[in-house]
Amino acid sequence: MILFAKDLKLIVAGVCGVALCAHGAQAPQRININQLSTTVEDVVVPLPNEIFGALNKLGAVNWKEHVRSDKGPNFTERPRIALLLGAVIADGFIAVQAEDASAVKDIGQRVMALAKGIGVGNSITPHAKAIIEAADKRNWENVRQELDRTQNSVQQAMNEVHDEKLSQLVSLGGWLRGAEVLTSVVKQHFSTDGAELLHQPYLLSYFQTRLKAMPEFNLPIIHQIQDALVEVKPLIDVGNAQIPAESVKKVNEITTRLGNGIVTRD
Amino acid sequence: MDRLAKVLFRSSVLLAAVIGMQRAACASVDDAQSFALQAAEPYVKQGFQVREDYWGGDLASGEKKAVRQQLFKGNEYWFWLGTEVDQAKVSVHIYNSDGKLAEQPDSWAKGQLAAAHIIPKTTGSYFIIVSVEESPAPRTHWALAYGFR
Repeated sequence: MILFAKDLKLIVAGVCGVALCAHGAQAPQRININQLSTTVEDVVVPLPNEIFGALNKLGAVNWKEHVRSDKGPNFTERPRIALLLGAVIADGFIAVQAEDASAVKDIGQRVMALAKGIGVGNSITPHAKAIIEAADKRNWENVRQELDRTQNSVQQAMNEVHDEKLSQLVSLGGWLRGAEVLTSVVKQHFSTDGAELLHQPYLLSYFQTRLKAMPEFNLPIIHQIQDALVEVKPLIDVGNAQIPAESVKKVNEITTRLGNGIVTRD
Repeated sequence: MDRLAKVLFRSSVLLAAVIGMQRAACASVDDAQSFALQAAEPYVKQGFQVREDYWGGDLASGEKKAVRQQLFKGNEYWFWLGTEVDQAKVSVHIYNSDGKLAEQPDSWAKGQLAAAHIIPKTTGSYFIIVSVEESPAPRTHWALAYGFR
């Protein structure tokens, strides 16, 4: 009986070993990143709530003080509308974090107006309505999902009519607003883990490359963003080092300045 | 009668082949995405928010594709890979920016579905490697979705 138990243990260990080897054989423990020449070009830009979720886990955040639901000016230039649309969708995620139903509803209306202004109103009308309905019911999970769908639908509609550049500006507008709020929160209660959330040099390079390919959008705000990204890059591209409080403060100043530029008429 | 049966048999084989080819031709990355989302379903119940956005394309057997993704320390992520090709075997793995395998041991691959799980130790850029290990099709559609909590 003891012998059988020993045999059984050996068999179990053997089976586990084979299973682990099989898994190991499928996935090498290390790969040469420099040889990855087949990287797909498109990048899925993280939604602001991905960063906000990580931020929430570091401690309670007073999201209400970051809620912004004012209507702002109406632009006629499509690149400006695209940037603002991205920022307003990000504001939607902030209002969800703050569980501010009234702000969410205002933002839903604003998203609808901006999407119409850029010619993709039809594709987002159902989502904007769903946002407003879910906010009325204080169903925050649904609001979050509909905001994601809104951004996705807007960008798909733009891509379908070969307006990929505007679609990228929507992502950029949201990323900048997210960075503004992230740095504002971390600046108030500094922690190295909070500052580390800014470690996004690859995304920053991605946006720099995309902006370079938009010479036709010869607008002051686009140039300001390009210059600002050059300023921000060394502050967040620190390799394995920590991002200091001073850098967080500087990034906050820069992104706040850009944020104001995005919502204000020149 | 025998001849009629043969003709009927041949016609139905031909029809089945045509339908099969048509299905293969009409299949798309969107079909692959519905499989990836099928893999994601149980995780939604565990509180993972699945992004609407996803990557997709087609690969030959044995071919790999790398996707770069920004991940945030504090969040937990699952990446789900799917294909609509029945007999295909796919895999997905996650590496950090130094090229070191960074996924959790509960990552899995089951035929036309695979999933990789990561709780990032640092905030930064990661590589998601998708692969069609085996497939009866010359090119196999794939779609990669992800969720976080």
